[in-house]
Amino acid sequence: MSADSDMEYSDNDGDEYDYYGEIDDCDMETVDQSKTDPEYFLFSCLRVEEVEKLLNESIELLSNNLQITPSLAKVILHAYEWNAQEIINRYKENANEVLIFSRVKPCVPTAPGTSTRTHCAVCANMPPLQSFSALTCGHSFCNDCWSMHFEVQIMQGVSNTIQCMAQECEVRAPEDFVLSHVTKPSLRERYQQFMFKDHVKSHPQLRFCPGPNCQWIFRAWVRQGPRRVECKGCELLTCFSCGAPHHAPTDCATIRLWLTKCADDSETVNYISANTKDCPKCQICIEKNGGCNHMQCGSCRHDFCWVCLGDWKCHGSEYYECSRYKEDPNLASDSQHAQAREALKKYLHYYERWENHARSLKLEEQTLASLKSRINQKVMAGEGTWIDWQYLWDSAKLLKRCRYTLQYTYPFAYYMDNGPRKELFEYQQAQLEAEIENLSWKVERAETTDRGDLENQMDIAEKRRTTLLKDFLDIHINNASSSKI
Amino acid sequence: MANIAAKRIKREIIEVVKGEEGVLKLELVNNAWTDLLGEIAGPPDTPYEGGLFKLEIKIPETYPFNPPKVRFITKVWHPNVSSVTGAICLDILKDQWAAALTLRTVLLSIQALLASAEPNDPQDAVVARQYIENEPLFELTARHWTNVYANGPTVVWEFNQKVQTLLEMGVDEHNARVALSTYNWDVEGATEQIFS
Ligand SMILES: [Zn+2]
Ligand SMILES: [Zn+2]
Ligand SMILES: [Zn+2]
Ligand SMILES: [Zn+2]
Ligand SMILES: [Zn+2]
Ligand SMILES: [Zn+2]
Repeated sequence: MSADSDMEYSDNDGDEYDYYGEIDDCDMETVDQSKTDPEYFLFSCLRVEEVEKLLNESIELLSNNLQITPSLAKVILHAYEWNAQEIINRYKENANEVLIFSRVKPCVPTAPGTSTRTHCAVCANMPPLQSFSALTCGHSFCNDCWSMHFEVQIMQGVSNTIQCMAQECEVRAPEDFVLSHVTKPSLRERYQQFMFKDHVKSHPQLRFCPGPNCQWIFRAWVRQGPRRVECKGCELLTCFSCGAPHHAPTDCATIRLWLTKCADDSETVNYISANTKDCPKCQICIEKNGGCNHMQCGSCRHDFCWVCLGDWKCHGSEYYECSRYKEDPNLASDSQHAQAREALKKYLHYYERWENHARSLKLEEQTLASLKSRINQKVMAGEGTWIDWQYLWDSAKLLKRCRYTLQYTYPFAYYMDNGPRKELFEYQQAQLEAEIENLSWKVERAETTDRGDLENQMDIAEKRRTTLLKDFLDIHINNASSSKI
Repeated sequence: MANIAAKRIKREIIEVVKGEEGVLKLELVNNAWTDLLGEIAGPPDTPYEGGLFKLEIKIPETYPFNPPKVRFITKVWHPNVSSVTGAICLDILKDQWAAALTLRTVLLSIQALLASAEPNDPQDAVVARQYIENEPLFELTARHWTNVYANGPTVVWEFNQKVQTLLEMGVDEHNARVALSTYNWDVEGATEQIFS
């Protein structure tokens, strides 16, 4: 079963058991969730300081091993996605190659001192010789210009990838070089903040919780397939692999398609004419400068298409597909019109249900709050203790969990091919739908501490949910091949 | 405007004026060093030969640490230039900008772009498609635009006549030319598009 293979990485501190925020007083025996929960995924939720410590360990390891400054170690780690061991091995084989790949050194050595440089090519000033400096490429500029360059780049959110100022030179400026030219404390701080964010983003074991203003960072070892992580701070459920809201049983590529489709169809016009979009790779916000559709992200340097957000690499010959798609509806013949109407009808069918569960989930928050006060009132009135009413609280939580899974069954079904598998899926989906409507009705009307009936109902609902996930959550197939990082 | 930007611009104007190419022009539009007018000559042995192309250059506050914003004022028929806005798809105006680059290099690069189109990295998909599917027609169209908008020497009578036909239907001249160019100079197709 899927989760078993995850267990080899386990240091099992039990923390991860509290996925859905169930109340912590676990007197009852701890169930091995890796066996019963098809979504079980080992991860930890770390504070900024803990992650800093983790990153520093890699930096120290590399700088000690290769006898280089921590600043250089950071540039190299960033380029090799923090795989220190691989860097050390490669460095032993061919140090030069590693330095060039990380852009610590230029790929072609710069011609040595072509002219006795007296003026700075950027500002046209002629400062004394000692106020010039250069990176390993030897392109010399005055210190004032370096400072301005770094200030402009930092203000634009660039940190690890700041480059030399010379034309066609891609050598990166390491941290100590940048900081030796930046004196403003606020700017230094900003730089280091961006640097940290960039490090986390480039680290395959780490992911920021996408919750608004949330500072927690997830750490996990597998980055493939839908992987549920829950934030200790804001309780948001996120997919560790792709960063979208947790979306089992739908897979990462499909949920992205679906979410883009929903955004497109709601405000197609707005969306296309908008002047800013997020980089599809690093999600930094990019402003469209002029009318060019070939975009390059200033932060991660990913090339992509403004229209479809696809990788630009596949746009050479396919560009016309990309633009023709938008044009087609005008040229469509009648039968195509009919097809389009049919497609829209199908989409709306799934979208309405998806949207409905999303709305219900939001309402569920209110339900939980009012349930809490209802239980409190009962307890105050002497009708049992919190322990007696615990089952009601648990069932409301379970309801939420079922709705969540159900919501994400709709995009899954939308993209499924017709056939017996889809029929089975939609059958199980319908069963779960029916079960939670039952449960929902009973939770709202529970007036006694008699738990038997409700607990029975809960059991059925959870079984239906896990069956559906077990049958359709495909992660165990990938587990064998997923890289251990 | 930052001191360094003004100083750079002053030097860059001198650099262009002194340059021996004689194919570039760079001058201030106002006294604030923020708006410049560039001019390049169409490169020889291209459909743009003999034409003079004006460019709008806007200097950002953070120049030269950020690139200038440059677009064609003169209308151009070219895969990497928007026939509508004059926007240019050129890497050094975006992420390949380096503070050590100058406006002279920028103008020369744009000139070089006119001489070697990159239809696989298009700014204007319509033009790029024509370039790929019917290069002779593309060349003639580009020559015609150069003649009409950039004072180029080659008059394409057939195209002038077709534009005239649409003018008589009350269509604005530039719109008529765009529509005809887009529809490979098929008067019927262009008319249909305009009146639909
Ligand atoms: Zn300088
Ligand atoms: Zn350099
Ligand atoms: Zn969070
Ligand atoms: Zn995912
Ligand atoms: Zn990016
Ligand atoms: Zn595209």
